[in-house]
Amino acid sequence: MSAADTPLRTAAASRRGRTRSRTWLAAVPLLAFIALIFGVPLLVILGGTFSRGGTFSTANLTDSVHGAYLTALTGSVKLSALVAVLGAVLGTFLAQAVVTSRFRALREAILTASGVLSNFGGVPLAFAWIATLGNSGVITSALGLGDRGWSLYNFWGLALVYLYFSIPLMVVVVVPALDGLRPQWREAAQNNGAGAWQFWRYVGIPVLAPTLLGGVVLLFGGAFAAYATAKAMVGASVPLVTLQIDAALSGNVLIGHENVALALSLDMIVVAGLVMAVYLPLQRRSARWLR
Amino acid sequence: MAALTPETLPAPATVPEPGARPGRPRRFRAWRGVILFFAAVYFLVPLIASFAFTVKEPDQGFSLDAYGQIFSAEGFGRSILLSLGLGVATIALVLLLTLPAMLAVRLSVPKLRPVLEIVCTLPLVVPPITFVAGISRVLQWGPDYLATTPLYQTIISVQNPDFPIVLVLAYVVLALPFAYRALDAGLGAMDVRTLVEAARNLGASWPHLLFRVIVPNLRAALASAAFLTLALVLGEFTIAQLLSYQTFPVWIYTISDSQAQVSVAVSVFSLLITWLLLLGLSSAGARQRSGS
Amino acid sequence: MNGARVEFRGLRRTFGSTTALDGLDLTVEPGELVALLGPSGCGKTTALRCLAGFEHPDEGEILVDGSDITPVPANRRDAGMVFQSYSLFPNMSVKENVAFGMRVRKAPAAKRHARAQELLDLIGLPSIGDRYPHQLSGGQQQRVALARALALEPRVLLLDEPLSALDAKVRVTLREEIRRLQLSLGITTIFVTHDQEEALSMADRVAVLRAGRLEQVADPATLYDRPATPFVAEFVGTMNHIPGRVSGDRVTVLGQMLPVDGEVPGSTDVDVLVRPEAVLVTPEEDAGGLVMVSSFRGSIARLTVVLPDGTEVLSDVPGHDAVRLAPGTRVRVALVERPVLVSAATERAAGATPRAAVAVPEHNAV
Repeated sequence: MSAADTPLRTAAASRRGRTRSRTWLAAVPLLAFIALIFGVPLLVILGGTFSRGGTFSTANLTDSVHGAYLTALTGSVKLSALVAVLGAVLGTFLAQAVVTSRFRALREAILTASGVLSNFGGVPLAFAWIATLGNSGVITSALGLGDRGWSLYNFWGLALVYLYFSIPLMVVVVVPALDGLRPQWREAAQNNGAGAWQFWRYVGIPVLAPTLLGGVVLLFGGAFAAYATAKAMVGASVPLVTLQIDAALSGNVLIGHENVALALSLDMIVVAGLVMAVYLPLQRRSARWLR
Repeated sequence: MAALTPETLPAPATVPEPGARPGRPRRFRAWRGVILFFAAVYFLVPLIASFAFTVKEPDQGFSLDAYGQIFSAEGFGRSILLSLGLGVATIALVLLLTLPAMLAVRLSVPKLRPVLEIVCTLPLVVPPITFVAGISRVLQWGPDYLATTPLYQTIISVQNPDFPIVLVLAYVVLALPFAYRALDAGLGAMDVRTLVEAARNLGASWPHLLFRVIVPNLRAALASAAFLTLALVLGEFTIAQLLSYQTFPVWIYTISDSQAQVSVAVSVFSLLITWLLLLGLSSAGARQRSGS
Repeated sequence: MNGARVEFRGLRRTFGSTTALDGLDLTVEPGELVALLGPSGCGKTTALRCLAGFEHPDEGEILVDGSDITPVPANRRDAGMVFQSYSLFPNMSVKENVAFGMRVRKAPAAKRHARAQELLDLIGLPSIGDRYPHQLSGGQQQRVALARALALEPRVLLLDEPLSALDAKVRVTLREEIRRLQLSLGITTIFVTHDQEEALSMADRVAVLRAGRLEQVADPATLYDRPATPFVAEFVGTMNHIPGRVSGDRVTVLGQMLPVDGEVPGSTDVDVLVRPEAVLVTPEEDAGGLVMVSSFRGSIARLTVVLPDGTEVLSDVPGHDAVRLAPGTRVRVALVERPVLVSAATERAAGATPRAAVAVPEHNAV
């Protein structure tokens, strides 16, 4: 780690007042790396979006919000919104059940499992569900669901599977906030004459609101960006923006319209950016309240 | 209450309600039980069913063959070694880039800290699929524009299919937010400046200080950053798939057409790996907490 | 006028294997401020929480103006409570916090605001109504909590160590203010604290609790001067243990013969309990006592004096005498002539320095 060594040495020297500080140089490799590896692709996306046939054009962007692409975009937003809201509600109830439980072991087990399952995405998750409720899945055949027109490979199936990592993520997000609800607040509310419902209405839910909204936003972002699970489960049969980008990148697009993939990417980044722009202030506020 | 105006608010009822013993009503517990039951069904059934799927044999009824076949399956060894190699390289690079930068910023340019934080959080805003769209376009265009410069060779060599450096670079970007947060928490807990000043005051040299004081105190944070990065690399599918490199998750995807049972077995197996990684992570975190 | 009479009768509460309350009996008269004092785990907070309705006694009853309130849920009890710290609702402004109880009771908004403002004036913070709890200092937060507890005009005010999280200086001013407010409102107040100085300076009567039982309840002066039991003597203020011999109802100690106050233990070898201010020291060339340590506290100086037999004795002398009685000075030690408490002698290992007057550490030695 000599990169850190040298600048830190000069920092010491500067404290002795001999040379000017060059410590900040240690941050240069990281910033340069991000600019090159992260910045250049972003610039290419931006540049490519506004270029068709070598000239400046907004045609790609226009295309990306019309026709099949628009369907994919709205499909992704709908799926993500559904998963986010359902996941947030169910996750919060599960978290509350865990937090109020008297059994420490149960609590620890569920929290650890939530940590693992919130990271359990991608291809393995898709296969686990295909083995369970797919066309030849264990539960499908055991319950004879196939004959009743059951299929996992549609919008609702995707939602069911996405919830498998979204609910645990919500638990991970909301448990610290529930733990941060001080018992004094409940008691002070009772002491002022509030019943359980009034406590939640005036104190509990407002205090948790930033965390809950932040959780919704986070779940939305996760579902919106998910690609591997959808790819492994439904191929391209459900219109989703990630699958459209994949198709466009793999050349499944009109000649000369290759940059539509980049325009779709830009759309996604804008949506994800909005999501983060909502999330970060919410998180800051709840951190202040639950300190 | 001379100082206060008389109040006409309804007086609180002091009449005891028969049998209304306050405390946790019974319906709360029932409600909790119902929730936990449905959660258990939803989360356990796919795991159990997947396992059942992998051990189901048309004839004998039960067999662990699928798990045996994982190791003999074509491409298993190569893909898992590739993923592990990428993981190690990513961990090394991400720590090498972030740790010096974060230390320097904390010690001498605190004004730069918010900038560093934002820069390191930015990758969260960019979904991997859009990132790879940009990368693949750079890799396509690069050779055209750079054909006459030495960079051409560079851009070709980072795409070496035996060890695609381009994936390491991309994964470093994806891992940055996690590594940054883990290290930031670790540095925040140990008060670097005081440690540095105390060690300098006792005559420690800078290399000594870095490796004997800072790194040992940051062990848990470094382990946590490394674990998170490794978990990310071992599970990453999008970028590898779209750039056509056969990492472990891509391999699972490719064999699913021909060997459904094996691919599910590997999925169960990889869940176990994630589980172990995260258990390691949380115990490292527990050590950190108990140590401080 | 506005206070209720509160009676704890045979209150018993156990948590698993620990007994928090073991048959507590205590009556608080209307308009009185009673401090519940005791070491941590003595049950004082549990008693308060039973009264507020957050805990439920296994046995016994709590009467407020003669009627048993144990079956009344916490949100219907007529007792305002101030918690140790951080009990303000973080999502509400100060005004909304104070008006919370009225909001729950659906009082009209104008009335709520007027009342909240009135209470903020009362606690001396008239202009902070629109701030949020995280913008307030700890002392301000506790004042607001007090205003909130008083907003519904309860007939009992419960204070659960409300000052323990504050700075020493704020603590002193706030406790005086609480007392003044309590007197002007005439509200029955129960104040839980582990800080003897706080209890003695604020309360009409102090109830000392030990292991869930009432040890003594008395006005501060009586408690300090005539502690009913060695435990109380030990817990309230600082106490010297000086070996002595009992004969009849008198005890011989440091060559003096003093009347025994209270019970006489069976054995003749006893510890005589003496306050530091009742130990008189005078400098004298050939005397047996030797000043070891002198700790100057402004109005007084506390001396540690070693006697020829090795006993250490604490003595409080006027601050201006500190110079005369610097460490190394030979002094003669005598006790003020008045009845003394005695307790059975504590075991002493041979050769070890006898345990002297190390009483409960003093909080707030300002």
